[in-house]
Amino acid sequence: MALIIASALPGLAVAQGSPLPMPDYAAPALMDSRLAVWMAAQLHLMFAAFVLAVPMFALFIEYLGWRARKTDPASARRHDWLAHEMASLLPIAYSLTAITGAALGFLLFTAYPRFMNYLSGVFGPTFIVYPLFFIAETLCLYFWYYGWARMQGERKWLHLVLGLALNVFGTIVMFIADAWATFMMTPGGVDAQGQLVSLYDAVWNPGWMPLNVHRLIANITFGALLCSGYAAYRFLLARTHAERALYDWMGYTGNLIALFTMLFLPFAGYYFGFELFAFSATYGVTLMGGVLSWLFIIQAIVIATLFIGAAYYSWLGLLRIPGSERQQAWSSVFNVLLIGGFMVWATPHTMAASLEESTGGFHPVLGALGVMAPKMIAVTLILVVLYGSYLLYRRAGKVITVPWGGTGERIQWSLVGLTALAITALGVYGYFAPAEVRIRTSIWQIIVLMGGIVATFILDQFLMRGARTVAEVQWGRMPGRGQYVLVALAVVIVWLMGLMGYARSGARLNWHVFGIMEDTSAGAGLPSLGEAALVITLITAIFFALLAVGFYISALARGEAAGADPESAGLLAEGERA
Amino acid sequence: MKPGTLARLRAAIPLPTGVFLVAAGIYVILKLVRPVIPHSVILLYMGFVILGLVIHVTLRDERMRRFAEFFLQKGTGQSRSVRAQRLALLAVPPLLLGGWVFEANRPRYAPPVEIFQRHPTVGEEVLGRIAVPDWIAAAPAQWDARFVSDGKKLYEANCAVCHGEKLDGQGVAAEGFRYPIRPANFQDPGTIAQLTLPYMYWRLTVGGIQNQFNSAMPRWVAPSDNPDVSTLHSYDMNEDEAWKVIAYLYKATGHEPRR
Repeated sequence: MALIIASALPGLAVAQGSPLPMPDYAAPALMDSRLAVWMAAQLHLMFAAFVLAVPMFALFIEYLGWRARKTDPASARRHDWLAHEMASLLPIAYSLTAITGAALGFLLFTAYPRFMNYLSGVFGPTFIVYPLFFIAETLCLYFWYYGWARMQGERKWLHLVLGLALNVFGTIVMFIADAWATFMMTPGGVDAQGQLVSLYDAVWNPGWMPLNVHRLIANITFGALLCSGYAAYRFLLARTHAERALYDWMGYTGNLIALFTMLFLPFAGYYFGFELFAFSATYGVTLMGGVLSWLFIIQAIVIATLFIGAAYYSWLGLLRIPGSERQQAWSSVFNVLLIGGFMVWATPHTMAASLEESTGGFHPVLGALGVMAPKMIAVTLILVVLYGSYLLYRRAGKVITVPWGGTGERIQWSLVGLTALAITALGVYGYFAPAEVRIRTSIWQIIVLMGGIVATFILDQFLMRGARTVAEVQWGRMPGRGQYVLVALAVVIVWLMGLMGYARSGARLNWHVFGIMEDTSAGAGLPSLGEAALVITLITAIFFALLAVGFYISALARGEAAGADPESAGLLAEGERA
Repeated sequence: MKPGTLARLRAAIPLPTGVFLVAAGIYVILKLVRPVIPHSVILLYMGFVILGLVIHVTLRDERMRRFAEFFLQKGTGQSRSVRAQRLALLAVPPLLLGGWVFEANRPRYAPPVEIFQRHPTVGEEVLGRIAVPDWIAAAPAQWDARFVSDGKKLYEANCAVCHGEKLDGQGVAAEGFRYPIRPANFQDPGTIAQLTLPYMYWRLTVGGIQNQFNSAMPRWVAPSDNPDVSTLHSYDMNEDEAWKVIAYLYKATGHEPRR
């Protein structure tokens, strides 16, 4: 961070007219600078995403525990343990964020001095404010984590406030960095020559808020899946059933958080894409029909893997609940619907065909599935299926006791069916409508989906009121394959984040700042799809290697004696009954 | 289904056979679709199908046990039919995989399958310089009918031979351009409806064949700084005419340019 400030200040001086000649490009990393910056930036973003997201849901879980301190002390302690367990991954990840951030700053300022000089000139004040918030976030994080034991009981509220401040500062830090990143894509607040007119507009450029929203949600998915991957690892290594029970619960919670936030991610992505297209249709062509279009087929497959994996894990979770055979039978039906939906979603518009297979690049039957409208139908119906899975999971091991239960359930499932029907009808209408109308119908599809979910969820609260529990969830009884799914999901989300990071940045093509400052360096081109996939895989491997080393060091520091520690052992014994 | 029937069915067609039959059945159906579905897409679909089948088998411990027992010859009193199925399943999938590997690697003369970009990428440094005339920048309802009519004549004289009288990509010469892509079907919502006016103008005036965009579309307007450049045909449009043709494409298909 100090490096960024130190580098930014000379940048400001140059912007005011330093006589020193400055080279446009250099290669400080002894490799293509674009590649070096790409890897450093992506690694930094991944660690940053993790340290931003984990405090959000860890704080929420801690709050749930605090709220239950009087009514259910055992549950309160369990929630507090879970929040702390998740937070224990933070300090080392935070250090790695700072290290990769410093590497990124160094590479940017040395490899792209002209560009960084310009960016410093535009964003000078934010370069000063950013480290202040970063320091505030750092202080909150370390006090929050290391003060956990001291701020229990009467002082717990102070701990919660500290956690809240940590989240607020963390979010501000991300928002500031997002302003720089989005300015490069959708510059605002500058004239045609790139001279700053309004810092406010430069920060609040067209892409800023969509990226803020998208990153906020995606970070939580990312952090939650990494936490559940960690829990799965601990589950597989657990020596006692009680330990397995707690880590099973942690994995389940992480997956649930990820699944919930993933419901909103496609729409946050469309919102971001919508703003990008509105800013310049060149983005639309580049991303959806041009050089990066096949990236989105890969993305569709990877996202499908993510959704299917998360859903599969939740279906496997029914095995923990004795007497859930009725719900388990539905898992197979949902599986078929999910796979079918994702087949539509991943269908390319322009097919890769051999000479013999070629129908001229466009298949008269399947080609129609390749455009936005059918894909929106597919993805929205997939979300309906996932929500249906959740409703079923809630019923597992329970018997509805309200007198109007039968009618209520019929109404509820009819509403789910109606939602699916309306989404399909809107999509079919949108398919034949002009692009502007199609985009509007896709927004309506989301509104219908959300309306359907809210209505049936509220109904569900009344339906399940006083429901008789006939079988408790047997934590720790989850099959081992469920844990491997969680580990796989953690790898998939990291790879996906790498892929999308590349798409977002690559969409600018040969521009440092789109339409304002061109990248004229030797490495200004985009790599082939295969090369990009290799780099993303390498980044993923480095990320996990660093994380593994970090967690190992963190475990050394904690002594790794959960079973031997009397307090933890007591909690774990409670966990068995959780 | 009655429990007895289900048990008999399970005995006759064990789970692994059922899984294989479903995968093979879907594969055959996909192969039978005409026009043919490219292998790359079938591969994608089959990946999902196999993933779905793996999920189906592993959703319950009891299914996993049945699946494993079939191959481990556990369970007493297996019929001859079941034993034959086991042998077949141990032999057929590896053979199919081997055949597929051979097929994928055997030398051939056909050009390799390549991914194709429907809309070639062009930088903002090019599109940003294209000035859209005021009349076409307005809403299509306000376009001068005479301009659209001029565009129709130009289209029918120069473009319809490939792109078709009905703008559906079915012109008389279309069959000549099968690989990798046929002339665009403008009626399809995935083509001009997705594009902006500057992009349309760039595509029409610069074309594809001279720029290695993997497209047979020729350049239709000779650039002012190089009027002698080859456009591959006898008639060159001027800039005004190019815009009129673009207006006709949108009017005739009912699509609107992307803003």
